[in-house]
Amino acid sequence: MFLEIKDLSVKIENKNILKSLNLNINKGEVHAIMGPNGSGKSTLANVLAGKEDYEILNGKINFKDNDLFDLNIEERAQEGMFLAFQYPVEIPGVNITPFLHSAINSKRKRMNEEEIDNLSFAKLLKSKASDLGINIDMLKRSVNTGFSGGEKKRYEILQMSILNPDLAILDETDSGLDIDALKIVTDGVNKLKTKDNSFLIITHYQKLLDYIKPDYVHVMVNGSIVKSGGSEIAAEIEKDGFQKFQ
Amino acid sequence: MNIQDNYLKNKKNIFFSENKDIQTHRNKLINIFENDRFDKKNNESLKNINLKNFIDFKYKYLIPEETSVIKNNHENSYSIVSVNGQCSSFKDDKIEITKILDEDYNDFSKNDTIENNDHFVNLNSLFLNCGFKIVIKKNNNIKIKISNIITDDDLTIFQKNNYICEEGSSLNLIEEYENKNNSTSNILNVIKLERNSQLNHFLIQDNSPNHNLIITSHSSCKKDSTFTQKVYNFSEGYVRNFHYSELIEANSEADLQGIFFLKDNNTSNNKTFVKHLAEDCKSNQVYKGILNDRSKATYFSNTHVDQVAQKTEGYQLSKGILLSDNASYFSKPELKIYADDVKCSHGSTIGPIDENAIFYLRSRGMSKIAATKILISSFINEELNSIDNEQMSEMIQNKLVRYLSKVK
Repeated sequence: MFLEIKDLSVKIENKNILKSLNLNINKGEVHAIMGPNGSGKSTLANVLAGKEDYEILNGKINFKDNDLFDLNIEERAQEGMFLAFQYPVEIPGVNITPFLHSAINSKRKRMNEEEIDNLSFAKLLKSKASDLGINIDMLKRSVNTGFSGGEKKRYEILQMSILNPDLAILDETDSGLDIDALKIVTDGVNKLKTKDNSFLIITHYQKLLDYIKPDYVHVMVNGSIVKSGGSEIAAEIEKDGFQKFQ
Repeated sequence: MNIQDNYLKNKKNIFFSENKDIQTHRNKLINIFENDRFDKKNNESLKNINLKNFIDFKYKYLIPEETSVIKNNHENSYSIVSVNGQCSSFKDDKIEITKILDEDYNDFSKNDTIENNDHFVNLNSLFLNCGFKIVIKKNNNIKIKISNIITDDDLTIFQKNNYICEEGSSLNLIEEYENKNNSTSNILNVIKLERNSQLNHFLIQDNSPNHNLIITSHSSCKKDSTFTQKVYNFSEGYVRNFHYSELIEANSEADLQGIFFLKDNNTSNNKTFVKHLAEDCKSNQVYKGILNDRSKATYFSNTHVDQVAQKTEGYQLSKGILLSDNASYFSKPELKIYADDVKCSHGSTIGPIDENAIFYLRSRGMSKIAATKILISSFINEELNSIDNEQMSEMIQNKLVRYLSKVK
């Protein structure tokens, strides 16, 4: 199993968020999690990425034969996990290009691969940015600083395409995107899809899933997955909302 | 030993002790010390320090054997080695360097911008034992680098320097303080900018733990002149930076900036004060601090806008990063505005490093320590990028790397 979440319960500030959650993802699969506000979708994404604000009450997560809880935040990233943030953090003064260069090399170092030099990285970045319709001038700016909502999401996908993760978690990547930006972003994701990597897509709406076809759709309510199935569930939610699952 | 006895005992080694006017002024200062109850609450010069250590001191001064001024003709630049606060006399068609004179003392003692309860300035006036005066002649554009050297342990340096930028002149002044011995330097810089002149004053402070550095500066700007000061404090010993600026004629500007990097038990006290006394003037006061371990800092910023100073623009900003729960940074911005057509602002943000930013960087594969270091560097990125002198930029970067290497 590529990612196996078993009986996971998590709380933050005395509030139980995830309750005995189970989820399995195999290599090459695309899973979507849909759920109403406050159902714990983003908490799941943050717990997977290693955010330290949460208390794990119970359960296990295995990722590529590692106990995920044995890995810290950066080790998870270096092992191939990537979280595209719902609200990417603005970091004034940290330039995008050297930051991404350092990020890719930290991963390559862990994998015992040769570090990528400045020139090769500049070429790679330029070509990936061009695929995503990102202006080269944007790469001279600070991380997410002064970006519009759409630019921030596109920049998250640019990072994903550079880091080429084994498991990408997209936390409401569609929120705040107009239809053109949504198409650019989802095209970027589809280009990355191979039989060797997996995606976990968190969204409220079916719209995103019109562009990225999931193999499985899960409904998450009140911290647990209450129903799993194929794309037909997304259509059902679009028609009737989440009420019937609560 | 009390102040008076200390003064009388060392009078023969103190500058201008035979001058009657100066003696009268000094008697007043002695009275201030004797009658002050050293109320820490209401006296900014007393925060975070034990003044007793500075008042009850053993006076020691040594006249240096050698000082130097080297002129580099190609770049209109001069390298000065100031030893124990003294500097060689020098004169050419661009600058003139002399020892400080009685009249320079009198000139400053009449100024009331620096409060008379600033005990460090009063100690400086009382025990003055060195200093120099540099005049930049009309319409010249020059660079000066001063290396401030202290030769021995236990020296008490009380230094007063005067800088005068004549009309249309421009001075780029870099001062380095890198002392390893156990001494105290109390320096007062009095800076005068005549019309249409410019002074960029950079102070790089990197003293060892046992060296105390107290720097006070007072600048006054006439019409169309600009004073810029940038302080980079990497010292492991106590540093006080108190800088006052008066914009006395129209269309003049003062930009007072500072960054300090503290660790261990170190303390730094900082103050900037700009008085707007004429119309159409601008000021900017920005101090940033990074504090680790059990270090402490204060920063007082003050903008005073006189009622004649219409169309004033005055901005203040204070920012701090606390890298440890035991570090503390007290910041107090103040605006006193007596004119009605002004643009003024102040802001202060102090707190630990942004955990969300750390998480974001780590989630891309950066280690926690690398993420912390990159965020510290980004905090002062604007200030570092604004250094247009390559050699100085490299020097500051190296000191930053050294500071960051101790951040765990």
